[in-house]
Amino acid sequence: MEQNWQLNNTTIGIVFLVISFVAFYFIGWYSNRASKSTQDLYIAGGSIGALANGLGMASTYMSLATFLGVTALILKLQAPFVFMWIQFILAIPLITILFGTSLRRMGAFTPAHFVRERYGNKAAIVAALWMILIMLMYALGQMIGIAKTFETLLGIPYAYGLAFGGLIIVGYITIGGMYGASYNAALQMVIMGIVFVIPLGAIMKALGSAGWWFPPLGYGDMVSAMREVAPNFFDFKYSAKWYFALIPSLTLGGIGLPHLAMRVFTASSLRSARRAMVWYALILGMVFSATYTMGFAGVFFSSTTGTVIGPTDADKITIILNLIYNPDWVSALVIAGAIAAGLSTLNGNLLGIGALVAQDIISTLRPNLREETKVKIGYLAIGSAGIVSILLAFKPPAFLVVSILWAFGLAATVSAPLVIMGVWWKEANRYGAISAATIGGLVYLLVSPYIAPNIVLSGDALTDSLGLSGALLAAPLSFIVLILVSYVTNRMPSLAAHIPIDKNNELIERIHGWNTVNAERYASNGGAFIIAGLCGIIAIWSIMPW
Amino acid sequence: MTAYKKEVYFTIILTILFLISGHTGLLFVIFAPDGVGATFLGFPIHFIIPVIMGWFGVLILTIIAGYMGNYLDEEIEKENAMTSDTPVSEGEKPISL
Repeated sequence: MEQNWQLNNTTIGIVFLVISFVAFYFIGWYSNRASKSTQDLYIAGGSIGALANGLGMASTYMSLATFLGVTALILKLQAPFVFMWIQFILAIPLITILFGTSLRRMGAFTPAHFVRERYGNKAAIVAALWMILIMLMYALGQMIGIAKTFETLLGIPYAYGLAFGGLIIVGYITIGGMYGASYNAALQMVIMGIVFVIPLGAIMKALGSAGWWFPPLGYGDMVSAMREVAPNFFDFKYSAKWYFALIPSLTLGGIGLPHLAMRVFTASSLRSARRAMVWYALILGMVFSATYTMGFAGVFFSSTTGTVIGPTDADKITIILNLIYNPDWVSALVIAGAIAAGLSTLNGNLLGIGALVAQDIISTLRPNLREETKVKIGYLAIGSAGIVSILLAFKPPAFLVVSILWAFGLAATVSAPLVIMGVWWKEANRYGAISAATIGGLVYLLVSPYIAPNIVLSGDALTDSLGLSGALLAAPLSFIVLILVSYVTNRMPSLAAHIPIDKNNELIERIHGWNTVNAERYASNGGAFIIAGLCGIIAIWSIMPW
Repeated sequence: MTAYKKEVYFTIILTILFLISGHTGLLFVIFAPDGVGATFLGFPIHFIIPVIMGWFGVLILTIIAGYMGNYLDEEIEKENAMTSDTPVSEGEKPISL
């Protein structure tokens, strides 16, 4: 029989929420009070220390989905979803080594900022528009998730939760800027870690695990019992092609997400950015592993007790387990933690959209704006992005909310190739970049089930809707287009004349740390064609039967 | 080996190692699709190794990447200092930005 899972004592939940929001507002206001420039607003003046930044990186990446959506999908998909989720940890380390420190050296505010310097204004606007769509999907998902959490667990109607909660959230994000976002994200990560992992220990103890004291890895003694009630839990279930498709869709997509790259740009130094990456891996690895434990516990609980977790309640498995095995006040803390997870990601998303609109579009079109005006436009853009997210969340267009994970594939197609090739290959040019972002992006949209449901690649609903099959084709295609178009147009005098080759070469050398331009550095056409060839093989594989 | 070559090799190798570390599940699907029958910490190997590699494997690689990144910065600085002391060679020119 399905049950109505809700906090019995909603007052205590609301009290915890109010306390946490007061803290977030204070931190936002206090840390941002001296902020004056666009550099302060978007990258916190490049001043965030390694530990705070590492916590912030983990927090920004750990969306509401980590608390709610992931455990629901483990309930449904079991081990394959664990394997899918593991690779998300790669985003920040790969961003850092592939282009993060280079763009930090350049002083970029967003990846689109680099695209503007590297490929010119038109390419920057194309890239920024795609990135805004990606960020909006992401922000909308968080906003809806937060409002639903208010609705289903605290008894606050969705529309009220969205309107009041949304406005309060947008307020603190707007007044806090990147300083507030960074320190709030660090605090939110600590809250999330504590309220997720410690109550999970109590749940695992109640379920009979001898290793309850270390929830992320301590439940091995429950495996045989799990196999009795859910014999297929640990099976792979999908083919190697499915698992390989995680690389061009989700791993490359994570690299292309602007709000993650922006966290690297806030580092106080390159050394600090690299240390932050270590803290990030330690903390995110622990919380991710605990998430798998929660999913395992959900399946074990459901299978052993015969409790039916309905499709609409699957998202709430973390809360349900806490409601059953822990006191109400602990569940209230977990709900506050889940909302904090949504907030930190939303914070990064809105700052990303603000920077993309204000810096990469408006300032590109109106380059002579005064710094003061740019800052004002920035705050206005961040606030407006939040308001738009709230308004969309009242009645969201289906294609925007179906899957945040689908947005990763779009980022892999329209963002990552431009930045990676732009940093490592001097021949990459504006024609290649614009063609790649446009063709790759449109192909990704076309083969997704949301635009043309008859044109899908795998035929498996989940694989197509998550964008795994689409990105397996579109992301390599984007690399191929960028490389071939750049190579050809560089050899067409009428087009090559419009490319500021010397300026581009100097930019590439400078962001890698060199004080001279050497024609032999970052100029390997052989390397570029090897990448194009490998991408060609992958693209052909993607359209063969799954 | 020049700092540039070290930088390129380091980036390619580290990227591959990170990908392997975060996608160990794929290797098991390819080479042992039915699992290997052994357990570690009580879990099937094909489940727990990807989880551990996705946490501690990535953590170790971030430490190596941090160390190597700092080392490469120093190497590039050394080469920069050498080129600023000597005339710029053929195919090379100072950055004017």
